[in-house]
Formats: sequence, structure tokens, C-alpha cells
Amino acid sequence: MKSTAVKILGLALMVAAASSIGWTADPARIVVMNPQGVKPEIRKIPMAVRSASLDGKTVYIVDTKYPNTKPFVEELYAALKAKYPATTWVLKDKFGGYMDDDPELWKEVKAKAAGAIVLVGH
Amino acid sequence: MGVPAVPIITARFKELVTTSAYKKGIPNMRITYTPHPITDRPAELCRQYIAGNDPNSGQPMLGQIYDGLSRPLSAEDGKGGFLPRGERTRLLPPDTPEKLMEYFHEQGFTDGNPVILPTEEKVAEMLKATSRQPDEWVGQMRPSPPHEAWYYTVEMVAVNAVMAGAKPEYFPTILALAAKGVTSMFSSTSSFARMAVVNGPVVDEIGMNTGIGAMGPVNRANSAIGRCWTLISRNLGNSGKPGETYLGSQGNPLNYNNLCFPENEPGLPAGWKPLHVQKGFKKSDSVISVFSGWSMSDIAWYSPLPIFEVIRGWLEHFFSFGTNQATLVLDPIVAADVAASGHPTKESFAKYLAENTGTPGWLYWSQNEKALEQAKKGEEPYAGWLRQGQGAVVPVSRYVRRAPAGRNPAFMARAEGNETSIEIVVTGGGTNTFWSGGDFGYVGSASVDDWR
Repeated sequence: MKSTAVKILGLALMVAAASSIGWTADPARIVVMNPQGVKPEIRKIPMAVRSASLDGKTVYIVDTKYPNTKPFVEELYAALKAKYPATTWVLKDKFGGYMDDDPELWKEVKAKAAGAIVLVGH
Repeated sequence: MGVPAVPIITARFKELVTTSAYKKGIPNMRITYTPHPITDRPAELCRQYIAGNDPNSGQPMLGQIYDGLSRPLSAEDGKGGFLPRGERTRLLPPDTPEKLMEYFHEQGFTDGNPVILPTEEKVAEMLKATSRQPDEWVGQMRPSPPHEAWYYTVEMVAVNAVMAGAKPEYFPTILALAAKGVTSMFSSTSSFARMAVVNGPVVDEIGMNTGIGAMGPVNRANSAIGRCWTLISRNLGNSGKPGETYLGSQGNPLNYNNLCFPENEPGLPAGWKPLHVQKGFKKSDSVISVFSGWSMSDIAWYSPLPIFEVIRGWLEHFFSFGTNQATLVLDPIVAADVAASGHPTKESFAKYLAENTGTPGWLYWSQNEKALEQAKKGEEPYAGWLRQGQGAVVPVSRYVRRAPAGRNPAFMARAEGNETSIEIVVTGGGTNTFWSGGDFGYVGSASVDDWR
């Protein structure tokens, strides 16, 4: 009987102690709401399998046409052709401005190329 | 695309690109960086960049590109599944108000100024101002088209409304604004600004200021609704994190309040429709309209010319990043002068302006590469225009709607109902003949009544 009373008293003290250090029992601490929205889940995309060598293969260099970057694109094309002559490098302008999508070009790349380099400004 | 790819990005955007690649589901994307910038750089310098190293990896650029396209994948590279993403909790861990305020600043939840901490009690009060349920989805928002959108409920918008210092009666207007899904902090290096114009009975109902100082910080409703747009954009719309979801090189001070003001409808000249009526709403509807641009100039010019001619001249020579669209915000006494000068409607005035403005030569030639080539070949009328010199005005208006060659037809869809790219709004207290003009274009409107 005495043992049970001690246990109850002990439990009560533990509850009291827990309350005194508990989050909401401290008047100086307040609870506020999360201002952020809901982020979408991210589905991982497996990367495309690489060929060990690009010799004899075609690679597209896609110029997204960020304004006034043509000299860089043309120099890149020339440098790749000179350094890796066994690969066919194709320089291609994307349709429209740099923000426009070009699904037809992506289909062409998939059909004809072993890889693509996509240039984005600035 | 399903094909091995290596993007080449300038080094300044490493944070943007690596975080974007993760969010797109390709955390190990093989990116090659070049020194920044590559725009307007001569071929010789570009050649040096390309012969050199990726400034981030220190590896030779060409070899790294080739390696990115040909190196076999790791086991991880070839896997699908889902990437880790922190779980959202409705409540934040308790703390003192002072520490919570600091936490809000550190997390980027604020606009840099103190906010009202959103307790459950305050948010519950805000929610009483709408018939919508707290868990109802309001919309989605993203910093720019390539970025991911975040989603939000009525309750989440209410949290941000509390933070902005809004009274509950402002909440339907804020919900309508949130439902448009347009961020106030568009992610571009060009530091966009936004503008929100309120029309209809709600203006008086919530005590917005249409008079003296309408566009300034003198009225709680104007201020809090405009401020809330930026908090919503940062917290609900995944926007405004420098380097990652915000790239404005200098930033834009208009984003603090987003030029939120109501149109002074009683101050409109007879025959001039309120903005929301121009956009297809009834006069008795309450509406918030959204504009996008960069800058606004405040102008008064005591001139022997009539005001409408001064405005025409300003529009002809006006230059900013958004040079092909304009919004005029006229004080009621300016609007009255313009109307009395023979412009019975906003639309007729906008049409007059579009038809009677040319483009400064230097600007025309810098925007129209093909025309410049034709001019140099002697083709008319371009050659004749070019002979007059860069300082002469080319008789082609920037403010007549036309889709740029090769651009998305959606560009034209946005212009429906307005054959010019000039919008006109009236606000202010009539203390002088002031007007404001800027490169803002109309984006869209939303019904406030739908969110009551």
C-alpha cells in the first residue's frame, strides 16, 4: 500500500516537473503557425546511359540563343571539332527566344544524337 | 530528353543550377561552368574561356564536357524513386516571441521588416473573414516558369495575412490576389516589380486610400495588402531566395509593397471606365488586378503643351528594360485635362498614344536586327530611316500589339481586348497635375467577391 502511494506521488511529481518544463506551460513561449506552403514531391529521373566513347557518334550543341552569346557558342563548336574530330558536332539553334521550349528539336536530338550540350546565358 | 546531356552555365549561377537540378530530379547532373558572363564578350576572350578550366571544378572545360557525355553512370545516377524533402508541419516549435521573430527573419519568412507573429488565435480571426474552408486549396505559385510551384490553402494565406499586419476585412482581397498565382518576386536578373490595383465596392468597405498619397505608405489597407503579396510570394510561392529562387541583380524596392493602390473611380472623367470594367467585370464587382513591370516615374511638367502631348512625348522617348509596354497612372485632374482635350475614353487615349509615338532610332535599331541588316542593304523604308541617324525617331510605335517573330502565340493571347500595350489607371488626390508612367503591363484580374 505504502509502495503504491509512493509510486503515485512519484508519478505526480514527474508530471508536474514535465509540465513546468513543457512547451506550452512556459508563458514566455508561444506557438505560431508555419507560413510556408506545400512543396511538391521530387521524382528522381534516372540519367541517360552514356556510351564509353563518342567516336563515330553525333553530339548536338544546342544554342538557346541568350542575347549576344553567339561568339561563345561558335568558339565552343570550333574547339570541340578541333579537339575531338572523331565525333560529329552539330550546332543547332533552338526555336524562339531562350525561354521558349522546342519539343521538335528535342525529338530530333533523341533520334539522331548520342548526346547534347545545352548552353544557357548569361 | 532521354539523351546524355551536359548543360553549360556561367559560374555565377551555380547555386541556382544545382538546386534546380535537384528539384527537377537530377541531383547528379553533369554541369560544366564557364566564367561569367559570356554575353557581349569578344570571340578571343570566349576562346580563352573554352581553352581554360571550369572555374568551379578546376578541370579543363572541354575534357569535362566530353567526360560528362561519356563517363559511365554510377549506380545512383541510374536510379529512380523519390528525393528527400523536408516534411511540413502546421505549427512551429514554441519559443519566445523575440526568438521566433529572429527565426522568421533567418528562414527568409519576412521582407526584412518585423512581422506580426501568426498565432493560431490571430489566424482564426483572419479566417472568419471568408466563407472558404481553411483547408481549401487556393492555388499554386512559382518564381518563374522553369521553377517548381508550391501549393497553398486558405489557412496558409491567412498566416501570411496576419504576418503582413492585415485586418481580417482585407482577407478576401488578399485571397483573390493569392489565387492569381502570380509571384511578386519574379526570378529574373532584371529585378521585376509588380503592381496591384483594386477596384469596386471593396475599396471603400476596407478603407483603402484613393486620394492624397494613394501610392504612398499612408494607409493600412493599401500597405498591408501590397506587403502581403511579397510575404505570400516568399513563403507560399517558392520565391525570393537570393541566388536560388531570386536573381534580380539589384533588387527592386517596389517589391516591399508592390505598388498596391485602388483606382479613384469617382475621379474618373465621364466616359472613362474603371479598370475592372475595362477588363470585363461589372462596376459593382470588387476586383484586384495585377500588373508586371520594372519601374515607375513620377512626373509633372509645366509646359505650354497640353498634358496629353507631354505624355505622348514622354512615351516616345521613355526607355527602361520593358520598353514595349507602358502603364500611365494619372491623377484625377490630369485625367480630366486629357479627357477635355478630346479623349473621351481611356481606350481612345491609349490608341492615340500608340498611333502617334515612334521609337528613338538607337532603340529601334538595337531591337530590330533584321531591319538593321535590310537598312544596310539599302532596302526601304529601313534605309531611309537609318540615314536620318540614331537620334531620329523611327515611325514605328512600340505600343501597338504585335507578336515578335518566332515568339509564342500566347504573347498575343495576353493582349486580348487591348490593341495597344498601354494601360491607364486613375488615382490620387488632385493636389497638382502629376502623373506616373512606367513599363508595367497588365497580367490579369481576380474577383474579390469569390473569396468573401
